[in-house]
Amino acid sequence: MPDLTDSSRAPGATPAPQPSRWKVAWDSDIAYSFRRSPVAVIAAFVTLLLVLAAIFAPLVATTNPFDPSSLNLMNGFSRPGVPNEFTGETFFLGTDDQGRDVYSTILYGLRISLFVGVMAVMFAMVLGVTLGLIAGYVGGWIDSLIMRVADVQLTFPSILVALLIFGIARGIIPIEHRDQMAIWVLIVAIGLSDWVQFARVVRGATLVEKNKEYVQAARLIGRKPGAIMMRHILPNVLSPVLVIATISLALAIIAEATLSFLGVGAPPTQPSLGTLIRIGQDFLFSGEWWILFFPACTLLALALSVNLLGDWLRDALNPRLR
Amino acid sequence: MRPILTAALVAAALPAGAAELRFASTTDPNTLDPNAGNSAPVFSLLGNVYEGLVRRGRDMSIEPALATSWEPIGDGEGWRFNLREGVTFHGGQSFDADDVIFSYERASSEQSDTSSWFAPVSEVIKVDDYTVDIMTSAPNPIFPDSIANWMMMDAGWAAENGAERPNIEQGNYATTNTNGTGPYMITERQPGLRTVLEAYDGWWGEDRGNVERAIFQPVQNSATAVAALLSGELDLIEPVPVQDANRVESAEGVDVLRGIEARVIMLGFPHDAEGLIAGGEGNPFTDPRVRQAVAQAINVPAILQTVMRGSAEPVAQLMGAGMRGYTQGLERPAYDQEAARALLAEAGYPDGFRFSLKCPNDRYLNDEAVCTAINAMLAQVGLEPVLETMPVANYWPTLRADDHDMYLLGWSPGTFDAEHPIRFLLATPDEEARLGSWNFGGYSNPRIDELLPMIQSEIDDTARQAMLDEVAQIQLDDVAYVPLYVQPLIWGVKEGIEVVQRPDNFLVLRWIEMG
Repeated sequence: MPDLTDSSRAPGATPAPQPSRWKVAWDSDIAYSFRRSPVAVIAAFVTLLLVLAAIFAPLVATTNPFDPSSLNLMNGFSRPGVPNEFTGETFFLGTDDQGRDVYSTILYGLRISLFVGVMAVMFAMVLGVTLGLIAGYVGGWIDSLIMRVADVQLTFPSILVALLIFGIARGIIPIEHRDQMAIWVLIVAIGLSDWVQFARVVRGATLVEKNKEYVQAARLIGRKPGAIMMRHILPNVLSPVLVIATISLALAIIAEATLSFLGVGAPPTQPSLGTLIRIGQDFLFSGEWWILFFPACTLLALALSVNLLGDWLRDALNPRLR
Repeated sequence: MRPILTAALVAAALPAGAAELRFASTTDPNTLDPNAGNSAPVFSLLGNVYEGLVRRGRDMSIEPALATSWEPIGDGEGWRFNLREGVTFHGGQSFDADDVIFSYERASSEQSDTSSWFAPVSEVIKVDDYTVDIMTSAPNPIFPDSIANWMMMDAGWAAENGAERPNIEQGNYATTNTNGTGPYMITERQPGLRTVLEAYDGWWGEDRGNVERAIFQPVQNSATAVAALLSGELDLIEPVPVQDANRVESAEGVDVLRGIEARVIMLGFPHDAEGLIAGGEGNPFTDPRVRQAVAQAINVPAILQTVMRGSAEPVAQLMGAGMRGYTQGLERPAYDQEAARALLAEAGYPDGFRFSLKCPNDRYLNDEAVCTAINAMLAQVGLEPVLETMPVANYWPTLRADDHDMYLLGWSPGTFDAEHPIRFLLATPDEEARLGSWNFGGYSNPRIDELLPMIQSEIDDTARQAMLDEVAQIQLDDVAYVPLYVQPLIWGVKEGIEVVQRPDNFLVLRWIEMG
């Protein structure tokens, strides 16, 4: 019986080395498109840098701004790179009104912003994809119900929905747990305001997929609807989900910053980027520009590069643009 | 083009010489009911609309308002007030002794936030239509001084609109509507957004500037208010953030008015709580050594230097210098982290303990920043404070509901006398006797309770001062509160506007002359 699995090998020749996984990935269409796009490369580099900085914040930061016992109020309002007039300490990005080193606070704030952003998108994604799959596959009144809820929610700006959920949560959660819960409430608030995009896209793709032969075959051999959705349809609708997730991440980071800016997000003792910008805004007129400027630049760099990555991914995964 | 057009229209609508004032403050008065909110933002705004029997002049002295004169009855049994005739409310009703009786019953009722003003009062008697006797249970030489914010309301108007008693929680007609005798009427009220006052032509008084119409809007973010002042969108803002005062001062077309406010910023303790809301069993704050440790852990000079930019004075008692009955020579416990740690260890808390620290974030100058700094300083001596800041609209209900451990409070003695903070903050809370109504921590000291009535009825200044000094010393030694500093008063005004800045931070519209 001829060897059908390896037709490239000439009789008698030594077997060619199996291409490594790296090589496969490097040669793929996506990687090729990535290498060809300088914007994508730069965006990925910046994102990676910021993510690493956030993960390794305790190692990279010079102080721990979330530990109140390490702060010295007299360091407050140090100018970037200029020794403080009372303590003589120098902070190369300056300090805020509490004497927190702006550089370290940005790193720790970045952690909160990224954590909230990623968790919120995961939450929105799981919720949206599940509901979208069910709506698309089951159809009927369940589909109508889910999609009408989604339509209604789309008519409200997402930040308003997040504010509403935040307000309700504050009413429900007992006061002594609010501080620990604040971050999780943020995640749920942003996640719940964001699931609609996922649900709509997945439902559309599911409607297309569910009439294809492979799904009908699976049904024919008696697989359960849950298994068909998870094992057969889901993998085939994932690529648009990936694109939305990336773009949603940028939006979620900004939503967190907005909520914290409005004073309803992260607590003042654990500032996220948005909280830092809110604090810094109070000092813009008095000339202490660095408290606002550096966190704002970081937020801009993060949101922009994640967004550019999302844009590139959308184009790269679109067969019509290849 | 549009602003010019609007300006032209406004100018056309007002009589010659009349002017419109647009002013802003961080805090919106939470009610328009003069008996439902015992706080400066409420009285500052309502002082233009309602009037009391007496009022405070430019130099804070008491002068006649709806009473033309008053004199003590007998040997200190009370005070007789002769009322002004021919005064009408904005709604056209005339003012007489029945309105005084009604206003007394309303303001001193159980539902009222101002009832403690009337703790010394035993009875109010109508002698004739324009004479009222206010009887006190003991001689009370400062009584006329203590009722400048007691505002007269019309009995008929309140009855018609179902507002005979204030309703602090739910509100009623008087929460959003007014009917006073003062120089201004409120013609539009959108809570949290905008309040419009217009001159009342039927006002009895003479001493009035040229402000015909005034528009108040709360601007929570003070940087926004500064921007609006500099761009000419607002004529007056209060406060100018301490960090922006120099910049505003150097800007063209605006002036900065500085003064010392009568307000002392302090920290309160949960004296009578069984346990802490953010901690385990027991209440460590009942131990005076723990309170002393808190007092010594806070570096007040550092807070004043950075957060307050050097524009506030430290203080060791519950009121600032310049008030009547101020105790000379008291000093704050020195900032000493080692001593604080030693005191905590001595009290049995070498590793500290967890508690909540509550603060408003839109009530006092830089309140959130001050609390964040205090939070850090307490953590540095080993305590574990959990800081929560909130807008003042949630803050007072939180304190009233005893949902706090330590908390930040600012107090401005409404009578400008040392007796005021003793009655409100140090006296054992007693609803019936209307004492200690803002003593949220339930501090109680028998000696202070004993001294208070004696202070209230003492006529001899030296003897009175000796008792006030004793109370101030007890408060300092027992650390009932930790007084921090006296808040500065910084207003931003458009050039050419003449304003009188009173130490109680009240804005009196009738004293404003716009150029």
